[in-house]
Amino acid sequence: MNKDLEHQFVTNLEKHQNIAHKICRIYTNDQASHNDLFQEITIQLWKAYPKFRGDAKFSTWMYRVALNTAITLYRKKKRGIQTQDYDTVHFKIKAEEYDDEAEQQIKLMYDAIKELNDIEKALVFLYLEDKNYREISETLGISEVNARVKMNRVKTKLRTILNP
Amino acid sequence: MDGLDLLKKNWKKQEDNLPHLSYDDIYKMLWKKSSSIVKWIFIISIIEFLLGTLLSIVLADKEYWQQMETLHLKKFMIFAEAVSYPITLYFIYRFYRNYRKISSTDSASKLMKDILKTRKTVKFYIAYVLISIAIITMVSIYILMHYHVLEVNANEASKYVFDTVDWIKMIAILSIALILLLGVIWLFYKLLYGILLKRLNRNYKELKNLDV
Repeated sequence: MNKDLEHQFVTNLEKHQNIAHKICRIYTNDQASHNDLFQEITIQLWKAYPKFRGDAKFSTWMYRVALNTAITLYRKKKRGIQTQDYDTVHFKIKAEEYDDEAEQQIKLMYDAIKELNDIEKALVFLYLEDKNYREISETLGISEVNARVKMNRVKTKLRTILNP
Repeated sequence: MDGLDLLKKNWKKQEDNLPHLSYDDIYKMLWKKSSSIVKWIFIISIIEFLLGTLLSIVLADKEYWQQMETLHLKKFMIFAEAVSYPITLYFIYRFYRNYRKISSTDSASKLMKDILKTRKTVKFYIAYVLISIAIITMVSIYILMHYHVLEVNANEASKYVFDTVDWIKMIAILSIALILLLGVIWLFYKLLYGILLKRLNRNYKELKNLDV
């Protein structure tokens, strides 16, 4: 067994695990599903790792594989996730840092995001990660124009969900 | 401010609240996949055992044993069950051991060995089931024939005397029936465990590819 490869991979993943956790936070509603998705992402990354040549950054590559895993997994389940099950403990926001109104707004925003479909969630996630349209298009394998159009649609959709 | 932009502003700050897994936690995750397959093999073997036991309890009522008695099969059936239960339980134990071993494995080479071992256990198990059914069927038929001949001879023997050709015919028919029965059972097991074994094999191949 190539111990070096293993060690390299785990070290990289440990360093960049936040990416996967944040994806889990967007796609799942409770701790158990969070852990399941995280594990699935780990396995998919590890399977794909021999093909990772190192010509891209590990994090860039990880965005792509991890998001694809989440998208595929939740596409299979269709709309198996119920938004009302949503667990608020899941993203504790330190109360002292924000005023109540902002906190409330963020919570509503999370609820709205949970109602998006798998691809839309990916777009929102990359937007929150402050990726530009070129990076978004590369990660999701769509054209830059398409990414822009889709992103605008998602923003409109979120607004409609929040202000019906 | 737009809700999404507000969230984006606070997105970075919430990173402190994200779970953090250690190197070892992540390392262990790499091998979890095989363990869930082996867990299913273990679970299926238990379900199969329970169903079999339940079925034999429901079907083997007093009438059944009386029938066995008149056919002179009772002793043999009791003997067969007494032998087969411990063996089946032993296989379940082995499946459990395999599962425990694979879920606690932390090296790829050991995992590969354990996967091969699990496959072997499953194959032995299927072979055992097929062979035991074959033996039980053949012995039962032998006992039936043996007593049948004895009882018939006492009455009007001349009518029922089998010549060699008749014997060959009968044995041929019985053999074909037995082979068909075993074939069906084999197919059933192939389906039941085959899918899991296939996945396990795929994991094994992946591990082997990483080895190069």
